[in-house]
Amino acid sequence: MNPVRSAVSAVFFLVISFTAVPASAQVDFSGEWAPRFWEDQPERVPGPELGDYLGIPISEAARLRADAWDASIQTLPEWQCRPHSADYIWRGPSNLRISKEVDPVSREITAFHAEWLRSVDRAIYLDGRPHPPADALHTWAGFSTAKWDGDMLTVTVTHLKEGYLRRNGLPRSDKATLTEHWMRNGDILTVMTIINDPVYLTEPFVRTTDYELDLRQQVPPYPCGVVQEVDRKKGEVPNFLPGTNPYTTEFATRHKIAADATRGGADTMYPDFLAKGRTQPIARPEAPRPGEADLQVRLLPVRGNVYMLLGAGGNITVSVGRDGVLMVDAGRAQMTDQVLAAIRQLQNDLDLRDTPLGSGAETRSSVASRHTEPPAKPIRYIVNTSADPDHAGGNEKVRMAGRTFTGGNVAGNIADAGEGAAILAHENVLQRLLEPEAGEQKAPPDAQPTDTYYTDSMKLSHFFNGEGIQLIHQPSAHTQGDSLVWFRGSDVIAAGDIYSTVSYPVIDARHGGTINGVIDGLNRILDLSVAEFRTEGGTLVVPGHGRLSDSADVAYYRDMVTIIRDRVQAMIDKGMTLDQVKAARPTADYEPRYGATSGAWTTDMFVEAVYVTLGGGKKPAPKPASPPARRK
Amino acid sequence: MSASRSVRTGRLQASVTVRRGRLQAALTVRRGRLQAALIAVAMMPSLCLAQGRQAGAPVTARAAAPVDLTGTWVSVVTEDWRWRMRTPPKGDYASVPLNEAGTKAADSWDPAKDAAAGEQCRAYGAAAVMRLPGRIRISWDNDTTLKIETEAGTQTRLLNFVAQAQRSEPSWQGSSIANWQVAGGGRRGGGTPRGGSLRVVTTNMRPGYLRKNGVPYSANARVTEYINRTNEPNGDAWLVVTTVVEDPQNLTSRFVTSSHFKKVPDGSAWSPTPCSAS
Repeated sequence: MNPVRSAVSAVFFLVISFTAVPASAQVDFSGEWAPRFWEDQPERVPGPELGDYLGIPISEAARLRADAWDASIQTLPEWQCRPHSADYIWRGPSNLRISKEVDPVSREITAFHAEWLRSVDRAIYLDGRPHPPADALHTWAGFSTAKWDGDMLTVTVTHLKEGYLRRNGLPRSDKATLTEHWMRNGDILTVMTIINDPVYLTEPFVRTTDYELDLRQQVPPYPCGVVQEVDRKKGEVPNFLPGTNPYTTEFATRHKIAADATRGGADTMYPDFLAKGRTQPIARPEAPRPGEADLQVRLLPVRGNVYMLLGAGGNITVSVGRDGVLMVDAGRAQMTDQVLAAIRQLQNDLDLRDTPLGSGAETRSSVASRHTEPPAKPIRYIVNTSADPDHAGGNEKVRMAGRTFTGGNVAGNIADAGEGAAILAHENVLQRLLEPEAGEQKAPPDAQPTDTYYTDSMKLSHFFNGEGIQLIHQPSAHTQGDSLVWFRGSDVIAAGDIYSTVSYPVIDARHGGTINGVIDGLNRILDLSVAEFRTEGGTLVVPGHGRLSDSADVAYYRDMVTIIRDRVQAMIDKGMTLDQVKAARPTADYEPRYGATSGAWTTDMFVEAVYVTLGGGKKPAPKPASPPARRK
Repeated sequence: MSASRSVRTGRLQASVTVRRGRLQAALTVRRGRLQAALIAVAMMPSLCLAQGRQAGAPVTARAAAPVDLTGTWVSVVTEDWRWRMRTPPKGDYASVPLNEAGTKAADSWDPAKDAAAGEQCRAYGAAAVMRLPGRIRISWDNDTTLKIETEAGTQTRLLNFVAQAQRSEPSWQGSSIANWQVAGGGRRGGGTPRGGSLRVVTTNMRPGYLRKNGVPYSANARVTEYINRTNEPNGDAWLVVTTVVEDPQNLTSRFVTSSHFKKVPDGSAWSPTPCSAS
């Protein structure tokens, strides 16, 4: 090239690059980054030793939970393909690839994508988008947005699934948030992670990790298939009963480190620990203060035409489409106006002119050309997952706002038959509403199920809004009349009160609920579920209370309930009384996450229900309500 | 002479607007000036930064600081705990890329011998002192020198923003040259910098230990540090020190660690301790 021309080009380049500094910094983090394990190599590559809690500001609940952790739990099908979460994976033993998305107009970086060996794609958005609602699905990668802080990229991560602080059982809860600072110094990437976890940390947990640019690196594919690794009884969850884990002191002994130090805690992070030892007493884990009642209705899209309505008491799952509206549960009676307003919003927002995926089986006009918006389709069905007032309390008013289409061979007054929506439930729900116990009111006729089943399951006779919908009876779980509702096309399961993300499972022993029934129900959900990738996504689960979930969330919950059941069973086997069991605090490690000392369902009530329904105190479990005579 | 002024008022800007034939001729004749102008343009960021602060007056490193690193900071040891919070056993050099010579030296560590030789500060040199547990205090020693004092070993590091004319005797903390890394490459013209970090290169050290159990670095080691500060929404401030040690005499590759320090409200807990060989 002509030297003068190149000189002119260089001048232009320099002048333009000087005058065209973007409004925000645009450091390029993309590239192939290799972990070099210059820190904590034994922990990061072979893996941490059991009982090594050094230098982590864990709470007592985390410590207890890690002590109960059995590495064999990772052989369970639900855990075999689980990746490290966003906070831990920086510290994991794998290569990192960061790629970038560039806006074609502004040419600004709008997102980075980070992926490691056996990870999920982790997107970090810089385009100003908001974080999803708190009730949305949580994932291994969480939801990340970022902003420039000079040349440093500051990332905020929410919606993390439960993970671990160290992969030897030290848990990190799904209530945690993560802040990251990405710093690039030439060919070295340093990432600072700050984890805040109100459940399992007493202070922010900070780590800094370094990677080195490696232009020849590849991140190979890592397919993962689930196999039966260990032949064990169905529903068994490996764990150590409190005080029985023989491995918790191995680390201290092997490395000649004071046992007190290996128990971790915030003290151990600071230099003064060397001189003064532990200055903060290990606090007993406590349940958080209960928040205010969650009575503000809000809508969350689940998948396709299935939505979740929160804040009306129990969660409501809604299918809205060309065939009308089907609701799983109706919420509390006093919330019905808000619920109906939300449903109306969904009905009005539905564009019936567009043919949805899978046309409605009962709709014959989907091919017709339409020039005006048709009227909203009515509420056709309400399914009750149980008879509880926070799920069925709104039956009467919601039913009356809906409609049943009848005709043909109907006996009696056909107009009466068509009044209101149909209410579907297991027949034990009807029985409970018809024969209330002392202190309960009999449900008015329009609040009672119109169609019940007594077999294992019931299907709607044909597609509704383009998919099959199936009710599955789960005996003696939360109550005696529980139904799981499975949207087979959308692949969504409404779990009712068998599954909750906000409390221990409510076991209504008076109405036939049992701890083992709940565990069976959770395992049933897992049997029905298929993950999309790396054990997350795929089948979505709407809990009776709390946020949207998937099978990984249910697996964590199943593990927790099973482990507590095992502990209480062991105490019963030792002949301990209910008071002794309560005093032993078999739920201590889960208390800050699920426990309550006041409100409708306290930890004591839960422990008592577990104890009683396992036959504790040598008293037989309360006899379940007798089912009504079956129809001929 | 101001290099930026030569760009603004010189012939370069005028030349680019003339017709191509004339421009070519002008550039051919003034090739030497063009090269000067290119250098000037390249230097523009830092000079403009200086001008934006106080026209005409030389800007000191202290005044040009794009980030405030001063204050008392405590190391928070959440990594490498068993190699930092105590003297690890002899031969425990996990994570350090030692070569054969380095391994041999580490295996022959004798703390009693070090103490007897007055070499008890070997683990407190610039290559390792930021990794030791303790508080550090950062202040301006003068307008061009940032000072880091450490509780561990009662050490003082002087980070000079102006190269020293004479090479001093090797010392535990060696000779450190510092420069600000202004965010955006400093390409902002005048106004307040948008943040940045500190880069420090240290050489001329006495041979020392990367870890207290005799994991060695040599007198030829070179240490490059990048110091960043973060400010968190809860009021916490953190210092992140990325340390790169290059020492072919003992290491198979460079050795990179990052250490973090939390800002403490005051220095009331400041409690320096002497060097210890074991």
